[in-house]
Amino acid sequence: MNVRRALRPALGALVAGLVLAALSHPAIASAIVAGLGDVPRRALTPGYLAALALQHLILAATGLALVATAGIGLGILATRPGAGSLRGGVDTLAAAAQAVPPVVVVALALPVLGFGGPPTLLALVFYGIMPTLRGTVGALEAVPAEAREAATALGLTARQTLTRIELPLAVPAIVETLRTALALAVAVAAVGALAGAATLGTPIVAGLQNQNTVPMLQGAAATAALAFLCDAAMVAVAGVLRR
Amino acid sequence: MARLVPLLFAIAFLGAVYGLPLLRLAKNRLVVGEPVYALDGAGIVAGFGPEIEAVSALVLGAALLARAGRTRVGLGAATALLALALALLVLALGNTAEDLLAGEPPAARAGLAAGAWAGLALLAGGLAHLSGRMAVPGLGAGLAVAVLTFVGVAYAAGALGSLSLAVEFAARGPAVGGALVRHLLLSGGAVLMAVCGAVLLSLWRRGQGLVAILVGGIQVVPAVALLGALVALASGLLRAVPSLREAGFSALGPAPALVGIAAYLLLPLWRGLALALAAPDPATLDAAEALGLTPRKILFEVRLPIGAGILIGALRVACVQAIGLATLGALVGAGGLGGIVFDGMAQFAPDLILLGAIPIVVLSLAVERALSRVEDRVRRTA
Repeated sequence: MNVRRALRPALGALVAGLVLAALSHPAIASAIVAGLGDVPRRALTPGYLAALALQHLILAATGLALVATAGIGLGILATRPGAGSLRGGVDTLAAAAQAVPPVVVVALALPVLGFGGPPTLLALVFYGIMPTLRGTVGALEAVPAEAREAATALGLTARQTLTRIELPLAVPAIVETLRTALALAVAVAAVGALAGAATLGTPIVAGLQNQNTVPMLQGAAATAALAFLCDAAMVAVAGVLRR
Repeated sequence: MARLVPLLFAIAFLGAVYGLPLLRLAKNRLVVGEPVYALDGAGIVAGFGPEIEAVSALVLGAALLARAGRTRVGLGAATALLALALALLVLALGNTAEDLLAGEPPAARAGLAAGAWAGLALLAGGLAHLSGRMAVPGLGAGLAVAVLTFVGVAYAAGALGSLSLAVEFAARGPAVGGALVRHLLLSGGAVLMAVCGAVLLSLWRRGQGLVAILVGGIQVVPAVALLGALVALASGLLRAVPSLREAGFSALGPAPALVGIAAYLLLPLWRGLALALAAPDPATLDAAEALGLTPRKILFEVRLPIGAGILIGALRVACVQAIGLATLGALVGAGGLGGIVFDGMAQFAPDLILLGAIPIVVLSLAVERALSRVEDRVRRTA
């Protein structure tokens, strides 16, 4: 019962994801295109879409793992006593990194790293790391000072204070940050199709180039479906953790 | 910790200019060339003279001054040294590129490599940091303009003409200018559309819950997917209403790009508007009402001035996002700087990619800095 209540906020995103996934089915997408007055041409099979979705997910998840490790780790370092002067630098760097759109990072990494996954992964990390770092810093700073003082008064070491008091209190806000990071990761992985990474962005880009509406619509619906399902999963995790 | 930063900065700079290649000499514009290092003998080709040692000495001097200096004079001297180092590095790169190309066939290119980019970025970051620490109004913007002017004058004087980026720019200058204007029109138009949309959405008082779900949901949809879906829908709409096509609309082009970009800007603008209108405390609003101000006067003379800082903050976020998203507009045939980036990707030509990418980054950094300046000023006076 309790679990069910914790999962309820994820329901909207889950339904949106499932509806969009249904839209990406070849029969439905072809019907929509026909309804729009176009002659439906070759649709992608569900198997091919699923394979692309899996690669998309692997790429986004790898990126999220890197971003989470580096962002949360650096966020913990930046909030330790003695790192006070780094805070301003973190905010400035975050703003500067945000000024470089993911497409541009993918494009710039292309000549150096070649076609495919690597430039996409670099863009994922580059674009995701600063918001995650800033979110982690914000989450840890929001831990009430009394909680920290109480821990010190109980004789906990700095490390124990971090792992037993600060991190558990900061976890909901950190998960919220990771939710944004995952949405970014799914979006950047779609952009990676421009650099030749095989993701759900691939049929969209190819469809735009050769004016083939059905795969374009299928790819768009499937990408959005994956994004909503990932979002639902993160909301569910956050709900269970907050319970 | 604060005293360590200048030293770490100097070490990072030395590592970049001596540990990484500064230039790459390539047979043509499409291949990644052979690395050229600062130290003779470390790379395939020797090239650099004593300029890099001079630049390094200037950076070390600036770091020591910044470490010791608590005074404005000390920090000012450090800033001057860094600026001088930046100018000298730019000229050294241009000169060495010219030396390297002497005797090479005309298709050969000398391009900036990782060490040069890292060094230039560190110097620019150092200048930004120092001007922030000195807290002299307008210093940061003045330095940025000075650096850009210096690069422009050096280019016009031919000192940088041998760098591959300059060669590429010489070939495509007008196209870059046109793309820049189009990029500005695209992002500006999308911001305008989104501002109107956000105002309309916040006027619908009863539906705020639904609006929150919708504008939040759009953020989850990847931009590539939204643009693709918009093109599909637009082509259907044009087939259903052929008169739109006669009016000059098409499924590919600025229309889907504008709608797509504006859709993502709704969330920051709508949320900013709601927060700004809720910013004045109830006592202030009661006082305004007691003074007999009409609701319209309360909106324009109380709520909006008090919430102005929040509004400009929202506008800043929206503008930076718009400039970034407009890059993807080229995907649906809307042109802009993204078109140059995609051309470069298609040809696998690094310099062409940079020619599109550098203005995008400079543009969004400039807009971000300028609007956050305005935001700070408004918040202070509010």
